[in-house]
Amino acid sequence: MHPTKSGRWITQTVSSTYLTEAVAIWLRDLRSEFRTRYAVNSILMFALTTLVAVSFSIGSFRIEESERPFLYAVLLWIILVFSALSGLSRSFVKEQEAGTMDILKLSARPQAVFLGKLFFNLTMLGALELIIVPAFILLMEYKIRFPGCFAAMMVTGGIGLGAGTTLVAAMIAQADARGALFSALSFPLLLPLIITAIKGSERAAYGISAAGWPEVKIAAAYAVIMITVSLLLFPLIWEE
Amino acid sequence: MCTLKVTGIGKYFSETILFKDISFALNSGDVVAITGWNGSGKSTMLRILAGLVRPSAGLVEMFCDNKSIPKKSRRQYVGMVAPALSLYDELTAIENMEFFCRVRGIAYDRKSCFNILERVDLVKHAEKICRTFSSGMKQRLKLVQALIHNPPFLLLDEPGCNLDSRGIKSVKNIISDQRTCGITVIASNEKREVDYADSIINLSN
Repeated sequence: MHPTKSGRWITQTVSSTYLTEAVAIWLRDLRSEFRTRYAVNSILMFALTTLVAVSFSIGSFRIEESERPFLYAVLLWIILVFSALSGLSRSFVKEQEAGTMDILKLSARPQAVFLGKLFFNLTMLGALELIIVPAFILLMEYKIRFPGCFAAMMVTGGIGLGAGTTLVAAMIAQADARGALFSALSFPLLLPLIITAIKGSERAAYGISAAGWPEVKIAAAYAVIMITVSLLLFPLIWEE
Repeated sequence: MCTLKVTGIGKYFSETILFKDISFALNSGDVVAITGWNGSGKSTMLRILAGLVRPSAGLVEMFCDNKSIPKKSRRQYVGMVAPALSLYDELTAIENMEFFCRVRGIAYDRKSCFNILERVDLVKHAEKICRTFSSGMKQRLKLVQALIHNPPFLLLDEPGCNLDSRGIKSVKNIISDQRTCGITVIASNEKREVDYADSIINLSN
């Protein structure tokens, strides 16, 4: 960029793709989050509080050994889903509240905005899983017979959860009753994924021969469908 | 050569008519002022031109070099400053510039960005978080953001608001420079800003 005599400048444009725009939005969101720590604090505090509450009240002794894989899978995914919902619902609302929504609409393509926000939410979810899942396994003495399958379930379930919450967060950003709407929309959208993730985690823990993989595939398919549908629908939500 | 063609646009909210049947055409070098009472729809008109709001009736068309600009590409051709448009408060001035360069596909060069900030008297504050800026400093940074991609269509909603005499001079320079490369639409009731324009559209009539 070179300023001209009268105050304007000559800009040198480089090729801009959806991905470069999305990465710019993702990095900007990370930088903002690093300074405000709104989502991180909200997600981590909820996750740690529920994890400690669960481990103190239930622990590893009150449940029969045979029932642990199922009940632990349920508890783990409840912690992950509600922690994610507590922080990630605001990814678009914060743009609306800060008055930056219009400037973002004028600067980036809708699909790039969705991808940037999705990358940010997936980063938050990845960090959440890296902290909460090992802590849950240690505190609850959660024995997993197929760790590879369990890890794959966490990854695909996390991507599906991130895609679902990002779409719902975009849908509620311009609504009045955001909190209620977020819950109402998230429930039917995320329920199939949550059921699948619980089943997959349970089977990976039981160690039923390679039986967890169908759920991993279903969760991966859910994530692909959700991201594809979101990329198609998001411009309609984004533009008034 | 760029053209902005507005045909019969109107904006209605339920049974309230904000404005209706507004038509005009502008070519490169034209500066038009949109005036009117508070609530007459000046800002809404600019938001319609920018593609941020759909008109209830009518059509907005943009052409550059005789080629029609599709609505989805309009953002590349439009620069806008408005009181309702906010920058990222938790970023510094230079980080805001970096973001808008990267997201618009403009080669980011830190030194050049500092040069631009120097021209709007913000170079001393380049590394400061925008939350600490005065409203006038924010307005200057908004002007930089609107011009960073050299838009042929410049939409200025109360461009001089909160600016000191040096800032107002910068706005005057920006508008006169835009005459050589594009179209300017100013929404304001400030006489000084309306005087920059060649023609006036009064939404109160």
